[in-house]
Amino acid sequence: MKNLTLNEAKTLKALLSGENSGEKIPEYLAKKVGIKVEALMQAAYLLEEKNLVDIDERVEEEYEPTEEGERYAKEGLPERNIHDFVVSKGGEVYLSDLREEFSGIINIGFGWLRRKNWVDCKSKICKLENQRFSNETDKKGGDFLVIALKAPIGRDEEILKELTKTRKNPPMLDKSTLKLLKGRKLLNIHDKKYIKIKLAEDGEEVARGIKVEDYEEITKITPEMIRERSWIGKRFRGYDAEVLSKEIYPAKKHPYRRIIEEIRDISLRMGFVEIKGEIIQSSFWDFDALFQPQDHPARDMQDTFYLNSESKLPERYVKEVKEMHIHGGKIDSSGWGGGWSEEVARRNVLRTHTTALTIRYLAEHPDPPVKAFCIGRVYRRESIDATHLPEFEQLEGVIMDKDVSFKDLLGYLKAFYKEMGFEEIRFRPGYFPYTEPSVEPDVYVDGLGWVELGGAGVFRKEVTEPFGINYPVLAWGLGVSRLAMLKLGLRDLRELYRPDIDWLRKSPLFGDF
Amino acid sequence: MPVISLGYEDLEELVGVSKEEILTKIPMLGADIERVEEDHVDVEFFPNRPDLYSAEGVARALRGFLSIEEGARYYSVKESKIDLTVKDAVLPIRPHIASAVVKGIKFSGALIESLMNLQEHLHRGLGRDRRKISIGVHDLSKIEPPFTYTAVSPDFSFVPLDLDEEMTMHEILTRHPKGVKYRKILEDFDLYPIIFDAKDRVVSFPPIINAELTRVTEKTEDLFIDVTGTEPIVFKALNIVVSSLAERGGEIYSVRIDRGSKEARIVSPDLSYEEMDIELSEFRSLIGEDLTQSNVIESLRKMRYDADLKTEDKVRVKIPPYRVDILHPWDIIEDVAIGYGYENIRPEFPKTLTMGSPHKMEVFSSKIREVMIGLCFFEVITFTLTNEEKEFDWMRRINGKKEEIVTVNNPISTEHTMMRRTILPNLIELLSFNKHRDLPQRIFEIGDVILNGKTTESLAAVSIHSDAEFSEVRSYIDALFREMKMEAKIKNSTDPAFLEGRSGDIYVNKRKIGVFGEMHPEVVWNFKLEYPIVAMEINLEYFL
Repeated sequence: MKNLTLNEAKTLKALLSGENSGEKIPEYLAKKVGIKVEALMQAAYLLEEKNLVDIDERVEEEYEPTEEGERYAKEGLPERNIHDFVVSKGGEVYLSDLREEFSGIINIGFGWLRRKNWVDCKSKICKLENQRFSNETDKKGGDFLVIALKAPIGRDEEILKELTKTRKNPPMLDKSTLKLLKGRKLLNIHDKKYIKIKLAEDGEEVARGIKVEDYEEITKITPEMIRERSWIGKRFRGYDAEVLSKEIYPAKKHPYRRIIEEIRDISLRMGFVEIKGEIIQSSFWDFDALFQPQDHPARDMQDTFYLNSESKLPERYVKEVKEMHIHGGKIDSSGWGGGWSEEVARRNVLRTHTTALTIRYLAEHPDPPVKAFCIGRVYRRESIDATHLPEFEQLEGVIMDKDVSFKDLLGYLKAFYKEMGFEEIRFRPGYFPYTEPSVEPDVYVDGLGWVELGGAGVFRKEVTEPFGINYPVLAWGLGVSRLAMLKLGLRDLRELYRPDIDWLRKSPLFGDF
Repeated sequence: MPVISLGYEDLEELVGVSKEEILTKIPMLGADIERVEEDHVDVEFFPNRPDLYSAEGVARALRGFLSIEEGARYYSVKESKIDLTVKDAVLPIRPHIASAVVKGIKFSGALIESLMNLQEHLHRGLGRDRRKISIGVHDLSKIEPPFTYTAVSPDFSFVPLDLDEEMTMHEILTRHPKGVKYRKILEDFDLYPIIFDAKDRVVSFPPIINAELTRVTEKTEDLFIDVTGTEPIVFKALNIVVSSLAERGGEIYSVRIDRGSKEARIVSPDLSYEEMDIELSEFRSLIGEDLTQSNVIESLRKMRYDADLKTEDKVRVKIPPYRVDILHPWDIIEDVAIGYGYENIRPEFPKTLTMGSPHKMEVFSSKIREVMIGLCFFEVITFTLTNEEKEFDWMRRINGKKEEIVTVNNPISTEHTMMRRTILPNLIELLSFNKHRDLPQRIFEIGDVILNGKTTESLAAVSIHSDAEFSEVRSYIDALFREMKMEAKIKNSTDPAFLEGRSGDIYVNKRKIGVFGEMHPEVVWNFKLEYPIVAMEINLEYFL
C-alpha cells in the first residue's frame, strides 16, 4: 500500500501490537504512535475510508454529581438529616428546634420530607408520619410503645452515592430517579463518546506487511537533504491545496496616485511638458496676471487663504498688467475701470489654482509652440465635508501655438477624456474670468448621466497681452480628486487623504479603471 | 454663483414654449441646472451675466436663442421732467447715482418678490455686497420730486423700512439688521449718504436701507428707482432693472441728474446701444469654424444683438444696454459661438507637435516610491495644512515654533492653521485613525512641505508594530541610499521627537537632510497610539 501516510502506517502497526489484537482506544494508539489524539483520529478516519480499519463509535450518557450533589452524597440529603433528627428525638419535635438545628437546609428539606411522606408538620409540631411507628407493646406497662423507626434508604440516595464513586453509568440506574436527581440539580448529564478502533478484514493483512520506515515523510526540506539527496525514495507530507492560508497584501501605490499617474501618462503621451511650482503665490500671479479684477469675489477672504507675507512684484510686467486692468492696456478692451493697487497684488496666498504656474511658465516661454501641464495641490477656503476640502489636486494644461483655435481645444479635450475612458463628451458654454470663449465639458457616466468634469477656454487677450504672449493659448483645468471619486466610486473625498489602511491593502491594482 | 429660481408657469408664459424645451436649452445658453423641482427649476447663471438674474431677463435671452424673437430689443424712455441733484457732500463717500421712474406696473406679490430677488442678486455679485452698487426701489406716489442726493450727519433720524419709529442713522447701523450687516461699508466716513424728496422727507439711506415711507406694495403703480455706488457701473445696473420691468409692461421715464456746475447734466437711464466691431477673420481664427457673414449675423441676432455687415470682414454689433460683460470683441465672438451652438462646432485635434517630458522631481520621486513599496510600505497622500499642536507640541518639537512658519491669516478650522514643515505628524496621525486595523502597518508619503517659504518635496515613512526597533529603520535608510547610489553619513540625533540613542541624523555632503529612529514613547502616546513606532523623514530637494 503506497498511499498511506506515515501516521496511517504507524497506526496500523500499533493496532497489531499487544493483547486484544486489533481493537484499541484512540488514547492508547496515540501514545503508542507518538502523536496527538487529534492527529491519530485523522489518520484513523483516513484508514477507515480505505477500508483498513473499523471505527466503532458509541455515545453514552454520563452522569456526574454537581458540587451540591457531591456534598449530599457525603453528608446525606437534607430531608434525610432532618428525618434522622426527628427520629433521634423520639419522632416529635418543635418546629422551632428544627429551624434552629437546620437553618441552612430547612426549606429544601421540608419540601422533600413532605413529598417522601416522612415527616409532617402541623402548627408548631413536627411528627414522623404514623406508619413509621411500631405497634409493639411495652412489656412493662402494657401500653403501646411508640418507637420511631428510620425510613429505609431510597434509590436516589443510593444512586447519588454510587455516582460520586464511579462517575459512570452504573448498571442499576433507573431513568426516573436520574431525572429526579437532575431536576434537583444534583446531577449533570453529558454525552460521552466511546471510540474503539480495530483492524478491518483487509487491514490485518496490510498491517502485517507494512514496514514503517517505508512511510517516512518529509515535512520541511532542509539544505542538508538537498545537498545529500537524502530525500530520494522518501515521501513529502502533502498539504490540502484547497485550504486558504493567511491573507497577505502587497504594498502598493495609493489608488489616487494611480489615477494621477494615468493622467500624467496621457499628458506626456500627448506631448506635454510637466511643470511644477510654488504653493505660495502672490495675488499678482494667482489673480491679477489672470485679469481677475481686484474686487472679484473669488479674491475675498471668504474664499482664499491669505498669508502674513508679501512677494515682490515682477517689475517687467507690473505696468502692463496694471494698465490692462484699468483701461484695457494697448488692446481694444475696456478693462475693468477703477483703480489697481500694487499692495493688493503683493499679498501672498495659497495658490487657488495651478493657472498661477501656467501663466508664469508661458510668460517665461513666449515662443510657440508650448504645451505644458501641471498636477498640483490647490487651496480653497472651504469647510470640510464629503465633497469639499480646503486642498485638493488640480490638473492644468495649456497649448500655445500659431493658428490654434477653440475648435482645437475641443478636439484636445475630446481626445484626453477618451484616453481617460470617457467615450461620450459634450460641450456647454461656461464662464471663467480669464478665458473667452469658455467651455464646460460634461462626460457621460453610466448610472450618473452627464457629469461636469473640468473647465476650459482660450486665454483672454487681456491675460496674454501684458506678458508678450502673441499667440492663442488653449487652457483647461480639471479637479483630479473629483475624477478620482468617479473612478474609485468614493462617496467621500476625505477617504483619499485620510485613508483606511485596510482600503489601501484591499483595493486591487487591477480593476479600478 | 447666483442661483435663480424660475417658476415654469411664469417662464412658459414669458418665453412661449414648453418647460421641457426650456430645460434642454438653458444649459446650452450658458448655465448649470442645479435642481429640477415640481413647479420650478433652480439655475445657476454665470456671474458675468447679471442680466439673466430674473425670469424676465432669462425669457428675453431664451426667446432669441430659440429663434422666437431675434435681434435687439429697444426700450423707449419717456421724459418725466423729474430732477435729482447731487450735492458735493456725498462725492467722497458714494459719488455715483443713476435713477429712473417706471410707471404702469401691475404689482402682484410674486412680481414684488421677483424684483426683490433681482435686486439682491445684483447687490451680491455686480454690487460686491452693496459696496460697489446698491439699488433702492420706491413707491413714487408717496414722495415728491425733485430729489436731492447728499450726505448728512449720523445723528439725522427717520423711520427706516420695517419699523414704525424714527431712528438716527447711527442707531440704524448699530441696531437695525440691515444696518448691522452693511455698516462696514460706511465705517470710514463721518457723513452718511441720503436721498431727500422735495419736502425733505427721507427716501433712502444708501447703501443700507429705504425709508418705510416709500414701501412698495401691491397697490404701487409707479416706481422711483435709485442706484448708488462707487463706480459708473451704477448705470448698467439700472439698465438691468428697468429693462426687466419693461418686459413686464412697465413704461420707463427718465430722471435728470444734476451733478453741479462742473459736470454736464445726465439724463438717466441711457438705454441706447453701444457699438463694437468684430472681424469675421478673427472669429474664424479664434473659434476655428468657417462661418459665413450671414451665419455670424444670425447667431448674433439669436443672442439679442443687432448686427450689420460693415465691410467684407467687419460686422458692426449693437450691444444691448443691459449687458455688462462685453469688454472686448472676443466677448462678442464667444456669443456668436454660443448662438451658433457649441454642439455644432466640430472638435479637431490640434496639430501642434511637441515632445512630452516629465518633471525631473517626478522621475526621481517615482523611483523612491518604487523602493519604498519594495520595502513593504503602502503609499498615502495627506493634507499639507496642519496646526501647531500637531506639528510641534505632539512631536515634542517645541523649538520648531521659533523658526519661520507659514500661518494662514484666515483659517477655516483649528485643524488647518499653518503649512506643514514635515510630513511625519500626518503619518502618525493616520496610524491613529487606523488603530483598529491589523499590525504591522507601514506607510509612506512623498509630498510637498513648506520650508522657509519655499515648496519642497519630502519623503516620510513610519512602521508600527510590537517589535519595531531602531535596527529596522536603520536597514531602510541603508537600503534607500544604496538604491540611490549615495553615501549618507549618520550621526546620533538629538531630535526630541525621537529617542536619544536610538535615532540618527542623515548627512549628505555635510548637509543635514533627514532624521530617523525610534519615535519617543511620549510622541506615540500623544497621538493616542500604543505600539512602538520607527520613522524617517528625508528632504528630497537636495538630490536634484
